Amino acid sequence: MIEVNNLHKHFGKLEVLKGISEKVDEREVVCVIGPSGSGKSTFLRCLNLLETPTAGEIRIEGELVTDPRVDINKIREEVGMVFQRFNLFPHMTALKNVALAPMRVRGLSEKEAYDRAHDLLKKVGLEDKADVYPSSLSGGQQQRVAIARALAMRPKIMLFDEPTSALDPEMVGEVLNVMKDLAKEGMTMIVVTHEMGFAREVGDRVLFMDEGVIVEKGTPDEIFFNAQNERTKSFLSKIL
Amino acid sequence: MSLLVSYLEHAVAVFPSLLRGAVITVEVTTFSIFFGLILGTIAAFGKLSKRNVFKLPSIVYIDFIRGTPLFVQILLFYYGIPGLVTAATGEVFRIDPIIAGIVVCSINSGAYNAEIVRAGIKSVDRGQMEAARSLGMTDRQAMKDVIMPQAVKLIIPPLGNEFIALLKDSSLLAIISVHELSKNGMLYVSKTFAAFPTYISVALVYLALTMGISRILAYVERRLGVSDRSE
Repeated sequence: MIEVNNLHKHFGKLEVLKGISEKVDEREVVCVIGPSGSGKSTFLRCLNLLETPTAGEIRIEGELVTDPRVDINKIREEVGMVFQRFNLFPHMTALKNVALAPMRVRGLSEKEAYDRAHDLLKKVGLEDKADVYPSSLSGGQQQRVAIARALAMRPKIMLFDEPTSALDPEMVGEVLNVMKDLAKEGMTMIVVTHEMGFAREVGDRVLFMDEGVIVEKGTPDEIFFNAQNERTKSFLSKIL
Repeated sequence: MSLLVSYLEHAVAVFPSLLRGAVITVEVTTFSIFFGLILGTIAAFGKLSKRNVFKLPSIVYIDFIRGTPLFVQILLFYYGIPGLVTAATGEVFRIDPIIAGIVVCSINSGAYNAEIVRAGIKSVDRGQMEAARSLGMTDRQAMKDVIMPQAVKLIIPPLGNEFIALLKDSSLLAIISVHELSKNGMLYVSKTFAAFPTYISVALVYLALTMGISRILAYVERRLGVSDRSE
């Protein structure tokens, strides 16, 4: 489904990704862990081309998306993204946040888009918040709206960039539950997260990144309880 | 006492002429606000553009106008350009002072507006554009539906200050004998030498006009909900 081959990313002289190669299968849930500055967010952002890779190849469903001739917007329609800081549109209600892109990008009529948005808000447990503006929602609720917004495009892949890191602890669970449901429905997901419980329950694999490379990968239990690499062990000892 | 009476008499005598001048001032300002907004928006997007064909002319325009006095710009446009055309073609070329005033004020105001608009767009959180783009929206769609509605709320208050500055600066057009508020005051003083009552009247009429603009802007800000900006 996603094939990454020798991906490099430089910001000026700073080399953030130093050759990442990885394959993610359909319906797979891959969690990416690693210290800050390890390049995990950049890796994720390269996948929907919010960052332009310096070198290397990314294929999504066989299509070479790093080809400069490719229509980036078409790729992004199929790859949903959820951000650490939610990035909801503050001047729109929750419903409009979810309905906007299907109307503008997929060409849905207003009614179709709002119907779809209602369904999705219901799915994330916020049907009663449809007409509320983001500023009146808690962090957990905002993030659930953001997930619904990404899902409204019916993407084939969902990317999550530390979706619970900006949340108060008591709100982490509600967001993870939505993500777990999504994983169980068979969504292909790449999640940058340190939530071990989530990784063990629904994660198929865990990648540990440090200094721009994938240092170690394996099943959640292999990584969390039987890490082989010293850097992985040292990192895990700090977060667990 | 007799001084006060004579001052009041002058103020009353000059008033009709000041009112006529105020109409010209408001006219010039209104047209300049309108064209200045269009110019400013174009220049703002030009300067934000990644392409040098749009970016460089915008930067040159903004820097030249903001780096030179309006007074000199007025002289250059009203006297300099016709002089240049006459020298080049041999034909006598004149510009109507009011038209010249509107053109120069629009160009001048546009450069300041451009920076205000650009700053407003820039200060919308980067995550907003990323979120819109990640949903497959084009740059243009994201600008229109996501960035601009938020930027407008940031742009309106400083733009209001700019309009007020423009109204006051239009007094400089007196130098090219546009019969606006200040010029009419000057004409009255040159006949009567009653400088104090005339110019205090001129000042008060400006004050009334700027307070008028402030009121209008406060209303617009309320309507747009600028104060209840939500994040």
